[in-house]
Amino acid sequence: MRHSIRTLIGSGLAGAAILAAGLAGGAAHAQDKAPIKAATLLDFTRVYTFLTDEYSQGQQDYVKLLNLEGGVGGHPVDLIVRDQGSQPQQGIALYNQARDEGAIFFDFLSTPVANAVMPRANEDHLPMITFAHGRADAIDGQRFPFVFPSAAIYRSQAALLLQYMDEHGGLKDKKIAFVHIDSPFGREPIALLEAMSKTKGFTLKTFPYAVPGTEQSAAWTDVRRFRPDNVIIWGAGPGQAVSIRGAISNGISPKSIYSVIWLSETDMRSFQGDAVVGVKRFTAVNTGADSAILKRISEKVVAAGKGTGDAKVVGSTYYNIGVASMAIMAQAARQALDKLGPPLTGDKLKAGFEMIKDFDAEGLMPPLTITDKDHQGGGWGRVSEWDGSKWVPLNDWGHAYQDVVWQLVREDAEKAAKEAKK
Amino acid sequence: MFYRLSGIHHTRYASARQLWPLPADRWQVAAVFVLAVAAPLYMSDLYLSSYMLPWLVWSTATLALTLLMGVAGQLHFGFGAVMAIGAYTSIHLTQAGVPFEFALLAAGLLAALIGCLFGAAALRVKGLYLVMATLAMQFLVDWVIVNVKAISGGAVATLQAPSVEFLWLPVDTLVARYYVALLWAVIVTLLMLNIKRTSFGRALVAVRDKDFAAAVIGVNIFKYKLLAFFTSSFLGGVTGAILAFCFYRAVTPQQFSFDISIQLVAMVLVGGLGSVIGAFLGAGFVLLAPIVLLNIVAPLVEAGWLPVSASLMAHIPLMIYGAMIIGFLLFEPLGLAKIYDNARKYFLVWPFRHTQS
Amino acid sequence: MNIEFFLELLANGALTGLMYGMVALGIVLIYKSSGVLNFAQGAMVMTAGYVTWLLTSFGLSIYAAVALGIVALFAFGLLIERLLLRTLVGQPIIMIVMLTLGLDIFLRGLVPGILGTSPKHLDLGVGMAPLVLGDVFINRVYLLGGVVALALFALAALFFRTRLGTKLRAVSDDHVSSWSVGISVEHAVAVSWGLAGICAVGAGTIWGTVQGVEWSLTALLFPAVAVVILGGIDSIPGALLGGIVVGVLGSVIPGYVDPLVGGSTRDVVTSVVILLTIMIRPYGMFGREDIERV
Repeated sequence: MRHSIRTLIGSGLAGAAILAAGLAGGAAHAQDKAPIKAATLLDFTRVYTFLTDEYSQGQQDYVKLLNLEGGVGGHPVDLIVRDQGSQPQQGIALYNQARDEGAIFFDFLSTPVANAVMPRANEDHLPMITFAHGRADAIDGQRFPFVFPSAAIYRSQAALLLQYMDEHGGLKDKKIAFVHIDSPFGREPIALLEAMSKTKGFTLKTFPYAVPGTEQSAAWTDVRRFRPDNVIIWGAGPGQAVSIRGAISNGISPKSIYSVIWLSETDMRSFQGDAVVGVKRFTAVNTGADSAILKRISEKVVAAGKGTGDAKVVGSTYYNIGVASMAIMAQAARQALDKLGPPLTGDKLKAGFEMIKDFDAEGLMPPLTITDKDHQGGGWGRVSEWDGSKWVPLNDWGHAYQDVVWQLVREDAEKAAKEAKK
Repeated sequence: MFYRLSGIHHTRYASARQLWPLPADRWQVAAVFVLAVAAPLYMSDLYLSSYMLPWLVWSTATLALTLLMGVAGQLHFGFGAVMAIGAYTSIHLTQAGVPFEFALLAAGLLAALIGCLFGAAALRVKGLYLVMATLAMQFLVDWVIVNVKAISGGAVATLQAPSVEFLWLPVDTLVARYYVALLWAVIVTLLMLNIKRTSFGRALVAVRDKDFAAAVIGVNIFKYKLLAFFTSSFLGGVTGAILAFCFYRAVTPQQFSFDISIQLVAMVLVGGLGSVIGAFLGAGFVLLAPIVLLNIVAPLVEAGWLPVSASLMAHIPLMIYGAMIIGFLLFEPLGLAKIYDNARKYFLVWPFRHTQS
Repeated sequence: MNIEFFLELLANGALTGLMYGMVALGIVLIYKSSGVLNFAQGAMVMTAGYVTWLLTSFGLSIYAAVALGIVALFAFGLLIERLLLRTLVGQPIIMIVMLTLGLDIFLRGLVPGILGTSPKHLDLGVGMAPLVLGDVFINRVYLLGGVVALALFALAALFFRTRLGTKLRAVSDDHVSSWSVGISVEHAVAVSWGLAGICAVGAGTIWGTVQGVEWSLTALLFPAVAVVILGGIDSIPGALLGGIVVGVLGSVIPGYVDPLVGGSTRDVVTSVVILLTIMIRPYGMFGREDIERV
């Protein structure tokens, strides 16, 4: 194709102008000290899509509420929301950019990206949260001073489900099937389950299915022949509904299905009628729009038309988890500003996190206590059951077998120390 | 006027056959080189680490792939796996104490050997079937890396790059890492610029154009196809190692997935098959265009001028990336290198209109 | 293990394979007429699923939504040919393949971006209770999927005996000869893309019911490509048989090997199928060998 030279020069100049604007645009935010900048660099387009929209909506609505109510100690909170597509290189580039824009807090909601950015965040002294996901050994505050899971990690979740089973029917001589997605996330609790199977005397069998979990019939055929007493499903997104369908069509009662935290109302509502009543799930944060913060969000933000996204989502599982993640950060910031004074830096925010004691976000979550050694907050959670239209909690907030969890963390640390550099 | 073609005549073959016979071209290259070497002096750390460094490394990877796809004509949709092999090998070796330089060489060699296995498929089939074979190998390598704990490091699945020394200088600051990447980029660029002047390069071009005709005139196509895969995979393996050490400083399986292979092929095609300048332009374009456009769209959305949800906004770079590939293929299939070439030819004889070169 | 386990894996595997075959049929149809391997077929399946869901969310019944979806995707296929492919006539194959890849990426961004990324649900009214034959449980949705796939294959076979189908067969043989006898190659190619769109609707609806409609439907491309390679890239019966073989292998082998390995081997099986086919018999079971002349 022949290009007239005029179009070539014109497009070249336009291209240069756009390039300059684009490269400068990212860093052109004013370097204010007053607003507290939090960067939520999530995965909107790839692996975590089933969760990110609602999660981000919760975060943004809560930040709007915070700013309406005067911010954190008078400082408004500035939320930076970008997409990293669950790709580490994109995550690193966005992290660098957000850091240079003055962000002092990070949330990635993506295990590969969080893992890739962790060493940099530790070097730069900027805290990040990995709420209910990410590496298990990140709960060790000594090895990962700037990473705050702030919620039960996968091993603690599995431990709590086991404890519930123990209290309701016992575990000795039972058969537990662990049906999981074949990824690091899916394999994370296996170490704990195997350790517990020896001490509690149950038979564990694992059934992996291929990523992305859309076709699991072979695994469930195998599960049926194992004739388990209880089934734990450990997947995320569309795979969860496929798992439940697989379980029920292979004759497993919904009441003996236990799931990881990533099971939402959307997944359950795809089933008709009473088919899935009784499915249980680990819950880290209350669902529903009844708690104090959710009520204020509904009144001041959503009703005033400032809500981010669909009003029907308010109060759903992932929305509330988003609200909780921001609430924890706000509490840490508040305490840091109170005790250490402005301006807020990464180190002060880290200290603020470690000051959190019995914080429950006005009834939204279990009492969280983070110390400089324990960044998990105790591994609190509870078991909820689906009653056909919503999740109903079955017991009180509690935590289980944390001694086993920490033992495994110590073993991970020893292994890492062996392969560490100078 | 800009290129001063008049007054240039050569009296020796060596000077007539040099890479850049025009002094203006030589000045241009020298200026670019000086700018590249002096970059840490005038560029902010953000630009250096987020734009310049990845651009250099990905351009090198594109150069390695264009050697295979552009010069030798073998389609390869699994280059991400080759880079992954290089990255993991280098990390394991340096963690075991092997010096960095040897680890890089070993990484390249292992990637080359396994890349030859990929290439064995090329001996059987061409075109689309080769695409499929290399795709399948990409998935196989991915699976092996994820599931063999000895390679990927277990459930946590992230291996950190230890701090290393290159030629007795520690590679731990951003500037040091940048220079290592720059050095490798210069080496590969020089190689690619000269490849067609060697008999190896000419044999590859013959194989690309019509392989049985090349066999007729005495080019051993088996040997040269395998050699093409070997060389290109070696370069790719070392580039993967450099990427792991200089940019990510850790390695996870997702860094080198199928999408990365496709991205590399897109960089090669957008830049122009077989061209060196095209590799740099294509890599820069594919890397930067989504970021640039996002930076333009994001403030508009935050200011409320574009009523677009965060979710849709997150999908816009993907749409732009796809539209960009489609646009280039429709309107300029020979890529950015052709556009650059057109512009250069225009300025060769400006203010006159026609040129013969 | 006992024979019933094997039979169940076999049955479910064959049905899954037929469902992959539906996606593969679209690829074969396009290749037959224009020699292009459509990497965007997975994205078309996803688009078809979203379109069907969108129509049901307007209140239409699933069957009306499918019917309208067929019309919409046929038009979509025609549009792709008109806008994108006509410009690239005569270019090397790598360009056109890359174009379909670019289209795949574009659709992956456009459709979930506009219609939302959380999984959408389609309900075919089939229910979750399995069909029980002895100790063998067969998933009803899979059974329906197999039936739909067989129907599509039969329709395709019948179609190629009609007048328009004969024109498409001529076009798949040689473009220049077809032009010279007065067949409009452009229209034939457009029709084949439209037919691929119809296959996409079938695949999108069935798979959307199995797993929910979201972007991961594009991942169906990989097993579909394995089916196409095994069966022969331009053969419809090959896609059918290749689908059954890939599905059975992908169900039976992981069923026995996964507990030994501790991980899921289904992707490995698919990759190995592709590699072995290419090494041993590159043109697949029923494909036609291309003879290149000097």
